Formats: sequence, C-alpha cells, structure tokens
Amino acid sequence: MSKETTIDLACENICKHFSDFTAVDNISFTIPKGSFFSILGPSGCGKTTLLRMLAGFEQPSSGDLLIKQQSMLDVPPNKRPVNMVFQHLALFPTMNIEENIGYGLRRQSVPKSEIAERVAAVLERVGLAGSGKKRVEQLSGGQRQRIALARCLVLNPTLLLLDEPLGALDLKLREQMKIELKLLQKEFGTTFVYITHDQSEALVMSDQIAVMNKGKFEQVGTPHQLYYQPETAFVAGFVGDSNRWQGTVESIASSTVLVNTNDGLSFKAKVMGDKAISAGNSVEIFVRPEAINVSRTVPSEETDNQLVCQVETILFDGAKSQIIAVEKESGGKITVTLPQTSDFANLQNYDTIYLNWSAEQTLCFLDNAESNGGV
Amino acid sequence: MSSLRTTSTFKLGMWLLLAPLCLWLVLLIILPHLELLVFSFTDPEKDSFTFGFYQEFFLEPLYWRTFVRTAVMSIMATILTLLIAFPVAFYIAKMLKGRSKGIVFAMCLIPFWVSELVRTFGWMILLRESGVISNFLQWSGLSDGPVELLYTDATIMLGLVYTSMLFMVVPLVSTLDSLDDSYIEAGYDLGGTNWNVLREIVIPHAVPGIVSGCIIVFMLSLGNYLTPVLLGGKDSLWFTEQIYTQFITRFNWEQGSAFGLLLLLLSSLIVWAGLKISGQSFAKTMG
Amino acid sequence: MIPSIKQSSRFNAIYQSYLIAFFIFLAAPLIVVAVFSFNDSLFPSFPWQGFTTDWFFSSEGNKIGIFFDSDLLNSIWLSIGIALVTTLLAITVACTNAFLFERFDFPGKSFLYMLMLLPLVIPGVLLGVSILVFSSEIANYLEDYWFIDLEFLRPGLTLVVIGQFAFITTICTLIISARLKKFDRSLEEAALNLGASPLMAVFTVTMPFLKPAIIGAAIVSFLMSFENFNTTFMLVGSDAPLTVAMFERLREGSTPVLNAISLLLMLGSGVLAIINMTMQKKSA
Repeated sequence: MSKETTIDLACENICKHFSDFTAVDNISFTIPKGSFFSILGPSGCGKTTLLRMLAGFEQPSSGDLLIKQQSMLDVPPNKRPVNMVFQHLALFPTMNIEENIGYGLRRQSVPKSEIAERVAAVLERVGLAGSGKKRVEQLSGGQRQRIALARCLVLNPTLLLLDEPLGALDLKLREQMKIELKLLQKEFGTTFVYITHDQSEALVMSDQIAVMNKGKFEQVGTPHQLYYQPETAFVAGFVGDSNRWQGTVESIASSTVLVNTNDGLSFKAKVMGDKAISAGNSVEIFVRPEAINVSRTVPSEETDNQLVCQVETILFDGAKSQIIAVEKESGGKITVTLPQTSDFANLQNYDTIYLNWSAEQTLCFLDNAESNGGV
Repeated sequence: MSSLRTTSTFKLGMWLLLAPLCLWLVLLIILPHLELLVFSFTDPEKDSFTFGFYQEFFLEPLYWRTFVRTAVMSIMATILTLLIAFPVAFYIAKMLKGRSKGIVFAMCLIPFWVSELVRTFGWMILLRESGVISNFLQWSGLSDGPVELLYTDATIMLGLVYTSMLFMVVPLVSTLDSLDDSYIEAGYDLGGTNWNVLREIVIPHAVPGIVSGCIIVFMLSLGNYLTPVLLGGKDSLWFTEQIYTQFITRFNWEQGSAFGLLLLLLSSLIVWAGLKISGQSFAKTMG
Repeated sequence: MIPSIKQSSRFNAIYQSYLIAFFIFLAAPLIVVAVFSFNDSLFPSFPWQGFTTDWFFSSEGNKIGIFFDSDLLNSIWLSIGIALVTTLLAITVACTNAFLFERFDFPGKSFLYMLMLLPLVIPGVLLGVSILVFSSEIANYLEDYWFIDLEFLRPGLTLVVIGQFAFITTICTLIISARLKKFDRSLEEAALNLGASPLMAVFTVTMPFLKPAIIGAAIVSFLMSFENFNTTFMLVGSDAPLTVAMFERLREGSTPVLNAISLLLMLGSGVLAIINMTMQKKSA
C-alpha cells in the first residue's frame, strides 16, 4: 500500500500507431515519486511520441496512463498535473519573464498578489531573482533554461516532462546545465521525466534510465546497471563507447563462451541477455576501451584475453585520449584508453603494446539479426 | 565589394541605378501630388491663392458626409474582414499540413487573381432582383416576390469584404505560420483554455500580420471605386466617386484636387495611427 | 486549436462548417458568372433558358458571341498591349531598384525606400488623377509657350501605361528584392575569382538566380495591369481597354457575352496563377 502511493506515473501497455508505422509499441513502466527518470534513445525511436502522450498532445492507440492512480486518457493537456519544458523552451516572446512564469498561475485564477509572490520566490530558487521585468531575448541560453523550468515548477506539477531541452546549448553550457538540472530536481523534489539522445546527459542526471529503440524499452535500470550490465546488444552499443566485433561461437563452458571474430581474433566472453546461445551461433561482442589493460612489456600474468598490437594512431583528447591499435597477424583494429602514466608519455606510432582483459568484461550477445529473425 | 571594384565605377553604377528610381518617384509620384496640392489652393480665375475649395468641402454637407461615410464604412469593412479571415487563416496555418495546406491556401488565393470587375459582376448576378438569391428565396417560399438585394449599404460592405479578403488572409497566414506549435502547446500545458491561449499567445504573436492586413484592406476599401459604384448604385456616396465626378464629369479639377488630398490625408492619418497603436513600422509592415 | 490539442467534436464540426461556408462565399460569384455564360437568354439571370455556347461562338442575330464581338476583341488586344509594355518597363526598373536597395548604401536610402513603398498606399483613383493633372499641365505649358502639341500627354494609352507603371513597379521591386536578399554573395565573388568582370558576374550568376522571381513578378505585373480599373479609368482617352469597356457595358445592362468574356478571363488568370504558384514553390 505504502509503496503504491509513491508511484507518480504508471504506463500500462501503451501503444501508438500512426498510419504507416508503430511509434510506441506496448510499453509499461512506473516512475516513483521524486525520481529523475530518463528515456534515452536515438532519434526516431518513439521517445518524443511517448513524452507527448504523457503531456496529452498525442492520444495513445491503446493502453492506459495513470498519474497518481488516476487515468489521464480523457484529461485534456490543460487539465493534467503535468508540465513540460519544450525542446526549444517555448518561452512566450510577447511576454516578459514575470508574465511567462505567471501564465499558469493566472490560468488557475490565483490572486494577483500571490502570483507576484510565487513568481518572485521561484525566480529566487532558480537563481534569477530580480529579472522578472526582463524580456526573453535579454537572457542567455542557460538563463532561459532556468526560466522555462521555473515556469513549470511554480505550478507544483506532479510530473515535469523535459524534451531534450539542452540540445540547443553549446557544449560547455550543456555540461554546466546538466549539473544544475540535477540539483534543481533534488531541491524541488519534483518527478522529472527527461528524454534525450545524449547518453552522457542521461547517465549524469538520472536515477533511472529507460533505453528505447524502435518503439520498445530495451532495458530500464540505473545508469550503473545500463553501463555495466547491458541486457541487449543495442544497450551495450548505445550506452558508452565499445569495441565491437561480429563473430561465431566456437565453444561454451558454463557462462563463458569462446568466440572467433570475423576478422580472425579469438576471445573469451561472458554471455549476456536472456537468449540461450549454442555453438555455431553468430554473436556480437563488446569490450569497453577503458576495460582493457595496456602495457609496454609482456605481462607476467595470464588473462582470459590477450593481444599483441601495434599503435596505429593516438587520438589525443586529454584525459579521454585513446589509442587505435592493430593486431599484428589479423590486422583487426581495437580502441583502448591511453593510460595517463609516465610509461606512455613517449608512446609513438608503430610501438608495440600488450593488451589484456578478462572474459567478465567481454560481453557477448546473440546477433541482433538472428534474434530478430526468430520473432 | 569596394575592394574588388574601383571606387569610381562603383559610384557610377550606383548613380546609374539611382536614376530610374528617382525619375519614377519624382515624375510619377511626387510632382503629380505636389501639382494636386498647388491646384487645390489656386483660384483658376484670378490665378491666386485660395482656401475656397476646402471651404466648399466643409460647407457642403453632401461632401463631408460622403467623406465621413466612406471612412467609417472602410473601417467597418476592415474589422469585418479581419474577423472573417482570422479563423480561416488560423486553420490554414495551424491545422493543415503539407499538401492539403498548399491546396486550401491556393483555393483561397486563386479567386483573387480574377479581375475585381468579374467578381463584382458575379455578386450582381447573385444579388439583383432577377438574380440567383432572389429566385432561390421565391422558389423556397421564403419570399413572395422578387427581392432586390443590390444597392444597399450592406451590399457595399459585402463587396468590400469580399474584394479585400485575400489581402487579409495572406499576411495572417504568414505570421501564424511562423508561430511554432510548441508555444500553443506550452499555453495548454500550463493550463490555458482555447480562449486565453488565443488571446494571450496567438493574437499577440499575430499582431504584425493583423496590422499589415488591416492597413492594406483599409486602403483598398477607401480607394475602391468599382465595388461601391456597381453594388451601391446611384446612392453609393463613395468619396472616390466624388473625386471622379469633379475631375471627369464637372471638369472642376481644383475641387477634385482638394478632395483627392483630403482622401490622402485621411488614409495617411489612419495608417499612421494604426502603426502607432500597434508599435509597427511602415517599411516593415509593407515590405 | 491545433491537431495535437483535441477539441470537442462539436467544436470541430462548427469550425469545419464555417470553413465550408467561407469557401462557398469565395466561389459563389465566380461560379454564377461561369454558369450564366451558357444561358440561352439575353440577360445573365434567371430564368434558365437552356444551354448554349452562342455567347462564345455566335456571329449573327441578337446574340453576338465574344469571338465575334469586335469591340470587345479590340479592347482585349489593347489591354494585352498595355499590359506587355507596362510589364516590360516595370520589370526593368524593378530590377535596377532591387540591386540599388540590396547592394548599395547611400545617405537617404531608407527615406527613398519609404518613398518607393508609397504607391502601395495611394488609392488608385488618386494616382490616376494626379498623373492626369500633372501631364495635362505640362502639355498645356508646352502648347501655350512653345507651340508644341504632345498628344501622348493627353488622356490615352500612353498615360494609362505610365499610370499603371507608377504603382506596379513597387510590387515588382518587392518581389525581386525578396529573392535577391536570399542570394549568396560568395557565388558572385566566385565568378569574379574565376575571371568574370563585375557586370558579367551579375549577368551570368545573379540574373539566372533571379529568374524565377522575375518571371513571377512579370506574371503578377501582367495581370495587375490587365485587370486594373481605378487608375486606368482616370487616364483613358477614346480607346477603352477591356476593364473600362466591360464597366461601360455593365452599367448599361449587359448580355451574357460579359459572362463569356469573364469566364475566359478566369481561365486565363487561373492558368497564370497556377504557373506562378508552382514556380514559386520550385524556386523556394
């Protein structure tokens, strides 16, 4: 009972079909009160349609949508306890900041003096006290973000929807706004539903992330789970960077498989996902660049997977610098993180490096094409 | 540019382009209107300065009443056109997408490529005593005898609204088109109803289009000649008709010039007031 | 109000009926004009006397079809001639204006631009009479003091062309300037870089880019001239262009030959309108 009351949003078997395709395909999930929930997916995966159904701008073809146990299907957008921060913010250019923030309160016929108080209070909370009389175009991009948030938060919505609001900002500001958004969400305690195609935004800010692809949720979990225990090849490939190989299963020993990749390498890997894998299956395997140990001398210990490579290029990017290396015999390429130790300070092209990593960090999924073919 | 071309040829080019513009504006617009001004203050018999023709305008009730009537009816026609056109423009700009939008918009435009004379002729066939509507009313039993619908003020109004419709629809559609849907959605999302989203978000955004539409429609109504004369008949009492009468029928050019300038003054005043109230600029509104 | 906001079905029904009523209102006068051009009666009104194409093709009797009505035919040719000359002049000056306003900066530019827009807000009747008064004054002066009689300054076709040119030029300038604004100057610079003279660069690179706008402006200009009444009416002499001839007949009470010519006009302007619209779409 007590657990139920803390659920702010529940979607039950939501579908949305357009005339020629299915944008949202039978999705169910719940969002607990006060959490930051992100929906992460590539463009065209249906995340915007899903968000617009929550706001009331699209009608689900089937399924139900409950906010605090109340079905929202027949509630028009202007009556839902849900507010939205639009992709391009949609701050009314014909109104000043104060009028923008007060717009929703005026709709609720809140007395004028109270509107003024609440607007001033929310402006202060987002750190823009005193800018109520300014015009929208006088504010910087980051300030506009905060006004768009304030305009919604002043109404104390049950749910705040955010439609990739950081997309239009430049990189520096985006990094800064990520942190700010997270802090504001904590402070207000409002439930946020955030959609984005940028995995870094989702990973940094969210309590829970749903990875969406082709109208379905591939996996719902904490950022940590998605990153380290992806359940599908799509999640493994979409969240974070990975080395990725196609290959065929040579043999199986409990949860570890031996895979021969198409470019002639051979790895021990851990079976992921819920589909049974047998010898001869074609699979995809993923290894994160930072999971690979690099050394310039032959390592003393034996590990599950080892390669001797030649440095082809060094991609210098400060702490995120990477090495692209070539396996000598097969010519297969692999990306690894450049260790920031003095050993590697004078690393040159054509130097030999020794790579090793465990089977635990080599994730093996049944090939997408094959698993799709079975459906 | 000046780095690529020598300054003197650049200057020469400018003067060459400036010449036709200035000839056109000076010879066909400025001097003719100055000539009207001179005429309206000149007593042709004594060749001396006189206020007489303006005096005549204020002393003869027919003249100034026609003037006021023309202004008032033009303003009414403008408001009516705006009210009728707005929902249509909104539908085209915001409800329709892609192909159907183009087709419906074209359907709005195409009638106005046809001569005003033809359109007015159409209304005459519809409205006259032996016309389509009169016949329909008799056939359906709503009326016992022929009904004359022509030659009333309402008919003039109808004709003016019809004839100016395009010039209202086009600017409205283009400003409403530029209003992103997300503003309207944000309005609803924050709890707005149809009415106050319209009033607080859509209309404030559409002000430039409304102003330029209204100015053009007002000018066209004020300066219209065909519609009042054909649909209003002998008693149409339109000011342009007075101007025509003075110039062509009575050959009283001085009086006609005074009338013409009064009309120009009135239209400039109202356009200026309209721009002032809405805070728009002339060049932006027209261009 | 917009598709993503669901409205009650009653609201939608009312809104859509309003639009249908609006389009009936738009189309009604044109439809009746067209229909009655086929009425076998001497008047363009009820009762319906049966279908006929006499008002187009009859050459004798009390029904003279449009193709045999020499007065109207003459006035059509006259109108076409006036429209062609006006268009040619207006387009030429509009092009020079567009380049002047888009490419050059000079003191008083914005003032001149305002003056350029002025013809849009001067009622057509007034434009007509002011040119009539001014040209007559010049003609009188030349005759009285220099004993030169310049016929073209008296009401007649030349004055009609001048009067129409005076306001159509503004409209053409706006259309062509709008397109020139979108032109990427670096294309011209590329031409210069490849060895073209500035004038050649304009004619080989810029003008082809402007072509759709120039054709569009020419179509608009042709129709505006052909259909103009207010200015024309003040400046005509003894030869009546089509609109003036039709106006005279309308006042006298007309036969359906006017419907026939109106139908032809509708078809003509409809075709030009569609050509223009499809062309604008392509170049957009």
